[in-house]
Amino acid sequence: MLSNDARLYQILFLSLFLGVGIVARDWSLQPVMIGALIATCCCVQWSAAIQISAPFIQSLPSALVTSLGLSLLLRADHVVTLMLAGTLAILSKFCLRVQDKHIFNPGNFGIVAVLTFTQDAWVSPGQWGEEGWYVLLFLSAGGLVLGRIGRWDTSIAFLASYAGLEAARNFWLGWTWDVWTHRMMSGSLLVFALFMITDPRTVPNARIARIIWAGAIALLTFYLRNFWFISTAPFWALFSLAPLTILLDRVFLGDRFIWHKSWHKSSSELVKTDVANELLSVS
Amino acid sequence: MKLFRILLITCFVSLMSLLITTKAWAFCGFYVAKADAKLYNQASQVAIARNGNRTVLTMANDYQGEVKDFAIVVPVPVVLQENQVQISDSKIVERLDAFSAPRLVEYFDPDPCAQIWQTEDSLRAPSAASAQRAAPQQSNGALGVTVESQFTVGEYDIVILSARESGGLETWLTQNGYRIPQGARQLLQPYIRQRLKFFVAKVNLEEYETSGYQSLRPIQIRYESPRFMLPIRLGMVNAQSAQDLIVYILSPQGQAEVTNYRTVKVPSDAEVPLYVKEEFSDFYKSLFATVYSREGKNVAFVEYAWDMAGCDPCSAEPLTPDELRQAGAFWVTPETPQNVFLTRLHVRYTRDRFPEDLVFQQTNNRESFQGRYILRHPFTGESTCSAGEDYQRSLSRIFEQQAQTLARLTGWQIQEIREKLPQVQSHFIPWWRRLVQALFG
Repeated sequence: MLSNDARLYQILFLSLFLGVGIVARDWSLQPVMIGALIATCCCVQWSAAIQISAPFIQSLPSALVTSLGLSLLLRADHVVTLMLAGTLAILSKFCLRVQDKHIFNPGNFGIVAVLTFTQDAWVSPGQWGEEGWYVLLFLSAGGLVLGRIGRWDTSIAFLASYAGLEAARNFWLGWTWDVWTHRMMSGSLLVFALFMITDPRTVPNARIARIIWAGAIALLTFYLRNFWFISTAPFWALFSLAPLTILLDRVFLGDRFIWHKSWHKSSSELVKTDVANELLSVS
Repeated sequence: MKLFRILLITCFVSLMSLLITTKAWAFCGFYVAKADAKLYNQASQVAIARNGNRTVLTMANDYQGEVKDFAIVVPVPVVLQENQVQISDSKIVERLDAFSAPRLVEYFDPDPCAQIWQTEDSLRAPSAASAQRAAPQQSNGALGVTVESQFTVGEYDIVILSARESGGLETWLTQNGYRIPQGARQLLQPYIRQRLKFFVAKVNLEEYETSGYQSLRPIQIRYESPRFMLPIRLGMVNAQSAQDLIVYILSPQGQAEVTNYRTVKVPSDAEVPLYVKEEFSDFYKSLFATVYSREGKNVAFVEYAWDMAGCDPCSAEPLTPDELRQAGAFWVTPETPQNVFLTRLHVRYTRDRFPEDLVFQQTNNRESFQGRYILRHPFTGESTCSAGEDYQRSLSRIFEQQAQTLARLTGWQIQEIREKLPQVQSHFIPWWRRLVQALFG
């Protein structure tokens, strides 16, 4: 049933974050841009669904999750840039696939694409600040969604690996520990760890593979941030290592995730995939 | 390659600073004086012009102590040679300050009875270690300190050091007449381990006396590095109170922002009572203190962000291409169109709320913003129509709104504000009175 779909919780929480960001975080987001992004994602999803003769309604939540995620993370001067990001994000689900699985996280793909190919987009890693209240909000909301999806391991593996690496660096450099805490309390890092990296349609199927994969992303994030001085390191790390999923799925066998069955099926059950549905279910 | 280029563009330049004198005085702790008001007790001004990885950093210096006591230690990402260091004109930073400072604007209400409504607006200008002369120091292998280069530029003697450990660097500095504030040694270590170099400058008294300048001029350094960072930790070693830092970032792209703290716009476009004109400095100080507390004391504020090609309204003449080049915008040439986006960031930092150095990024955000506060002069002439009557009636409500806005922005007592509001006097003459006047004179 659609009402049991974990994506509805994602939509609810992403909308909540967007509202909090606009009201309490001084984001200069224009409603028309958010509206255009949502409309674009839905239209592209609808067009693509028609092309493969698949039902649109079941895939609508995925388009909404992608558009809300992009609204949260991506900024641009012109609405066309955001629409381009939305279009590429949705198309990546249909065009870049291996064994009926998306190679890239759609939102991540859209962000990286417009950062690379346009001179108009940017990401603001400091937009959430480092307040404890937001940390709790993100952890609670992320926990609810991930509890339904059964992909907590990915977030934990990423955050634990990244925290460990940063702690080791902090210790070696001799910084006081509030530097480490400040880095780990970043709202943007938590949103990434809880809502982007965990997309069940792009993570490896087996738990051990997910842990290896998340650890590798944490390592690359750490490297890019501290040695290449890239503030948007998590997005580049996820983009670079997303294709590793294909390899890991071949090495480690595991069950494949299907959104609309996530409520009824435990993650350990092997689910027979319905290709038509799976083509659409993406976040 | 495209990916790599994008990655590099988003990289940063690191720079950090430390003052080593007997006083608890640090770079990023300079006093800034502006126009007719010295707004902040402890403030530093830094201009960073950056295009790709190429950076020109100007450290403004309004040092008030004995010139012979002046000394700074600024960690830099690369070894600087003599041709990468120069002395800048103090006026350039003053120009940047005046051009980007929060401003008051005035509007005059028109005659509500006039058929053609004309607005007149005019702009009111914004009130808007003792380091002894170091003996020539050779690299000291035992201390792990290497003198990478050594030269004199303008009134400054400059040494570029690299170090292997903080104890050795501390010893070297002490041996050469610098006194390190207590607690600085532990903070030097992280920078040494990140392989940063140390830019050490003190005043060459002979050169200073022959130069004829009354104050120390800004030091400008040029280098290429992916690090885009400004140090504040060392400046807080002995700081007892919050310090103000104003950073002017000149970019060919768009707005700059801080990536490891929130970047927030200061409240703007607020209509305030007329008497604020006489106390604009106090007003802005209170406003900033209020918003600083409200935002949790750990954010960077944008006070100005605008393409240098224009301004509306201008609080000062825009910088000329020549002045922009002096400010470090090396990509500006007389032949090419002026392409400089200026961001003015104001950070008030304390040790407990800002544990990490500031990291910046340039964005493609071309949105214009300015801290702007509006004075609205009511129409004081006689009104002879019903619209005039409505206007007169509305004045008390407008004044009250302005008072509440001012109280909200500054935290001032609403009652005290109300006492300073102008008294509303009706200039409306009813029709029957006009008739009587016409008949009987």
